[in-house]
Amino acid sequence: MKTLVLVKQVPNTDSPFRINSAGTWVDESNLTYGLNNYDRYALEETLRLKDAGKATEVVALTVGPERAASALRTCLATGADRAVHIKDDALAAADPLSVARVIVAAIKDEGFSLILCGLQADDDNYMQIGPFVARLLDRPCATAAMSLELREGTMRVERELENNRLQIVDLTLPSVVTVQTGINEPRYASLKGIMAAKKKEIKVLALADLKLSASEIAASAGRFRTVHLATPPKGKGAEMLAGPADAIAKELVKRIKEKTGVI
Amino acid sequence: MPCRILILAEHEDGALRETTFELLGMAHRLAGDAGWPPSGIKAVLIGQGLGDLAGSAAARGAAEVICVEGEAVKDYTCDGYTRVLESVIKAESPEIVLIGHTPNGWDTAPMVAAGLGVPIATECSQVALESGRPLFTRKAFNGKFIQVVDMGDARPKIATIQKGAAPAYTGTTQGAVRTVPAGVGADQLRARFVGIKKGEGGAVDLTQAAVIVSGGRGVGAPEKFGVIRELAQALGGQVGASRPVTDMGWLPHEHQVGSSGVTVNPKLYIACGISGAIQHIVGMKGAGYIIAINKDPDAPIFSVADVGVVGDLFEIVPALTKAVKEAKGRA
Repeated sequence: MKTLVLVKQVPNTDSPFRINSAGTWVDESNLTYGLNNYDRYALEETLRLKDAGKATEVVALTVGPERAASALRTCLATGADRAVHIKDDALAAADPLSVARVIVAAIKDEGFSLILCGLQADDDNYMQIGPFVARLLDRPCATAAMSLELREGTMRVERELENNRLQIVDLTLPSVVTVQTGINEPRYASLKGIMAAKKKEIKVLALADLKLSASEIAASAGRFRTVHLATPPKGKGAEMLAGPADAIAKELVKRIKEKTGVI
Repeated sequence: MPCRILILAEHEDGALRETTFELLGMAHRLAGDAGWPPSGIKAVLIGQGLGDLAGSAAARGAAEVICVEGEAVKDYTCDGYTRVLESVIKAESPEIVLIGHTPNGWDTAPMVAAGLGVPIATECSQVALESGRPLFTRKAFNGKFIQVVDMGDARPKIATIQKGAAPAYTGTTQGAVRTVPAGVGADQLRARFVGIKKGEGGAVDLTQAAVIVSGGRGVGAPEKFGVIRELAQALGGQVGASRPVTDMGWLPHEHQVGSSGVTVNPKLYIACGISGAIQHIVGMKGAGYIIAINKDPDAPIFSVADVGVVGDLFEIVPALTKAVKEAKGRA
């Protein structure tokens, strides 16, 4: 069984985030990047299937600029067999649907039985690529998986619902599953893995290789445009307390008494 | 009447979910702003034996409820719902489709969008018209920023809407109910519903707690949760946590507050070392009074807190525990 894990390189959450001059996204110049946290869990699930002798091959794929290759190298060092990097300047402003179309164009003839990815990316939080890819391939999908169990021709998935409940669903393979954090404990790359990764292939594909045109991407991007990125308003605005800890504690107790009656 | 806004009426355990009425509330406000008649607001309800629920949605905001019935869609599956929604949307051709950002909503909505070849804005907190164009407001970077999305000439414009983003529709309507067969057999589906099960744990019920003291990644390590527990005990409350804490196994999953954990409504919520990712905020913003303690002055948690302290939780929290004990001793 061939398995594919879709990954994304995202800014580390402790990066110094600033809004760009156009006010439409973050200024990328001071950010540091790493593999999306959710995708680490997805990769771990595919590696476990390989360890169990159920997956024959684990392929990692990303769509992103040059720097995104390092996320693929992380996957290879952790145990993925090979990687695909879709890279094209015309994809810089691509909307999520275009990204999914590009992925599908690259994988549709590869015969993957299982496609995994993280539930969402830590940067845009869109939660779209997995279901998009599934629908474009006309295959079933399940999101927020907390457990996977390979059965005869199907994958049994436990999907996380609210209030500590799970939905159990059987998907006919091939299928797409997005993985929730906490499903497993992702492994880290070993030194041996890092050395071995240097010999593994990262196949680079551009739009032309996928028979897609920059104008199609641009047209689609016009239907999903960020007009504005801003820091959230301080809402009703927290009253901020400052001073020595003991004085703050007394002020807090006063408010707890007045406002909540729990003391 | 032509359909302008179509909402997905979600149901669970034999009742319509609150999100259904919130989506109807949002639809009515949008229609009012756009000058569209309320007769263009329709709901789609999917399942089996849903006559009563359809009537309820028709009485509480939907001009027409399209009730799609069939054995194959009795229980939620992405495949069943996606097929039904795509076919209803094609037939109704609405301008806007609103779906709750719930586990089933976020599961099917992007598939529907891809099937129709249109974009989708997920987990929106607001949909507002600006010069006649609907703009969709959502959070990005785990709540650090607000993103406003314009879906241009896409039709329909599909969005999933955060729980509690709009007040429920409070008026009454005399909508029609139209029942149609699902038109899909269980044997055609590639996803089969097996069942619902309870997750691990269950001894802790945060939903009933009057006081919750929650710790986040900022607590730093599982053995450091003592200060959080002591404050919770002093206040007679329970210990909560953000998602990273339960993911890392610092506390069992049942302590997790948020859209993927439990939604809580205590009188007092104290967030310690929690930055305030949107998924956490959704679960606790209904608290009566919110205190946030965090070392990062820009942490999004301060945007929902009533009172905030920028500082080291290991100084503030023990001092607060002491002050609470003193106050109780005097009382």
